[in-house]
Amino acid sequence: MSELSKLYEAILTGDSKAAVAITKEALAAGTDPLEIVNTQMVPAMDEAGRRFECEEYFVPELLLAARAMKGALELIRPLLAERGTEPAGRVVIGTVKGDLHDIGKNLVSSMLEGGGFEVIDLGADVAPERFVEAVRERNPDLVCLSALLTVTMPSMKTTIDALKDAGLRDRVRVLVGGAPVTEQWAREIGADGYGPNAAAAVPLARKLIMK
Amino acid sequence: MTSKERVLATLNHREPDRVPIDLGGTSVTGIHISCVAALRDYYGLEKRPVKLHEPYQMLGWVDEDLKQAMGIDVEGVFPYTTMFGFKNVNWKMWRTGWGQEILVPEDFRTITDENGDTLIFPEGDTTAPPSGKMPKGFYFFDTIIRQEPIDEDRLNPEDNLEEFTPVAEDYLEQLSQAAPAAAATGRAVIASFGGTAFGDIALVPAPFLKYPKGIRDITEWYISTSTRRDYIHKVFARQCEIALQNLEKIHRVVGDCVDVVFICGTDFGTQTSSFCSVATLRELYMPYYKQVNDWIHKHTNWKTFKHSCGAVEKFIDTFIESGFDILNPVQCSAAGMDAAHLKAKYGDRIVFWGGGVDTQKTLPFGTPEEVRAQVLERCEIFSANGGFVFNTVHNVQAGTPVENIVAMIEAVREFNGMKSRGTHV
Repeated sequence: MSELSKLYEAILTGDSKAAVAITKEALAAGTDPLEIVNTQMVPAMDEAGRRFECEEYFVPELLLAARAMKGALELIRPLLAERGTEPAGRVVIGTVKGDLHDIGKNLVSSMLEGGGFEVIDLGADVAPERFVEAVRERNPDLVCLSALLTVTMPSMKTTIDALKDAGLRDRVRVLVGGAPVTEQWAREIGADGYGPNAAAAVPLARKLIMK
Repeated sequence: MTSKERVLATLNHREPDRVPIDLGGTSVTGIHISCVAALRDYYGLEKRPVKLHEPYQMLGWVDEDLKQAMGIDVEGVFPYTTMFGFKNVNWKMWRTGWGQEILVPEDFRTITDENGDTLIFPEGDTTAPPSGKMPKGFYFFDTIIRQEPIDEDRLNPEDNLEEFTPVAEDYLEQLSQAAPAAAATGRAVIASFGGTAFGDIALVPAPFLKYPKGIRDITEWYISTSTRRDYIHKVFARQCEIALQNLEKIHRVVGDCVDVVFICGTDFGTQTSSFCSVATLRELYMPYYKQVNDWIHKHTNWKTFKHSCGAVEKFIDTFIESGFDILNPVQCSAAGMDAAHLKAKYGDRIVFWGGGVDTQKTLPFGTPEEVRAQVLERCEIFSANGGFVFNTVHNVQAGTPVENIVAMIEAVREFNGMKSRGTHV
């Protein structure tokens, strides 16, 4: 196993220290940062997602993999930016207004980052106008909205309506998710997609971007 | 049958004269304070501000008159303090963000921050950092995470045990009055003494402590269940020792006035999956559940109540093996939680306390007719041979139309073949 290929294993097993050390070494040896992303990070997070979907992994293991991936990505991100490497897509993500829950949103955010997307995370309890502002300024391909509480689901609709009112709705695809959210609700409020869990978000995002 | 007899029959898997109802007996089977006010208006009860029973989820007290109007069969006995660490005493008026005048305890102390959000303080101490936040225009508090930087070499399980202490003498005194008073209502009594929830993620950040130490961040805690399992075992083991000593003291005071004890609200299910494997449940949690349940079953007549949201079908055998008698909230909309399947597979071995109507979709957003249809269907499925206490799937949420809550109550009555009002207890 080459030194670099150990990164895949380090991310998958959630070994942050090893993930950072291997990435540092690889970069120092002149490895192409994009190669690190494409041959190690993306497949590792895809595999973590697969294991999560078939219940070999659970929330703690997915959080650990995400943490290890982020440690490595922090070293790589500035290098990718320097050479103007285009991400797989640009995503604005946040938990909607009134809702302070962010574990699910953070997991989706990490999975997308691990999948090669540039993620602009607006945090939790995000007002519709902040989503509008972010779409206007950052020009993302996707907007991802999260809600855990039943009472904050309507904030998803308010946010989509705000994007419409600002004339920005056609510029982005909107993905929704969170415990009380369903495919039917996504359709009712005019979203483009619904992800039942963090792992499902990445293939869905890829599919929507290709359309 | 009296309410108590009805509940005890169903808890012992004998079919009672009618399906018993709980609404307001615990912090997971209650009603948002705005809905309590709407129900009081609907039933034409005395106009008065509703008391806040649980400030974190903003649950309102279901008073005697409302219990009678709805035909409630369960009476609650509540913890020493609320989620924000103060006692429910010395009431004062407070105006909510949605304009409702309510009664809150004197130590319910809040400020409004620069965003218009409401911040609340642990133990009512405004010199400590706030531990809860209610976003402007919304209906619940959520915890503000206060996590000191973690130094791996200095992590000490004692830091996660600050909240687990010998039961306070004045709580024993309070229980010595509250439990007999609850029993005297003729209803079955469910008590939430506290101290037996192992790793409940709502309690881990300790919104009731002024300066929590140890592992208090939610992500860090979940990760620790995998990477620092020895640490978590040490916390649970010591917590369990303290809990058993406390239960003994409490039992001496309340005796058979209590019928059911709310043991643990740790959620193991998500909407479509779970937070851990069955193997982890068995290795990390079951030893402590078993000690608590075994002690209770050996020394008392109490039944034990386990709350876990989400898709927990695969855990039910382990819950039963751990000694739990009752499962709540029975989230039938989660993966693998089909009502008929649950009843057929587990109905003779565990009591379903909940599952009566969905609170993510049907109750808040459906029509009264949709509510009625679901309630009738669930009562039909769950009530055969006992083993069912009607309750919504978790608390009735803010914004739920009162017509739907009433349709739910009426549907239980319809199922029970009892159209006339107010003759329950």
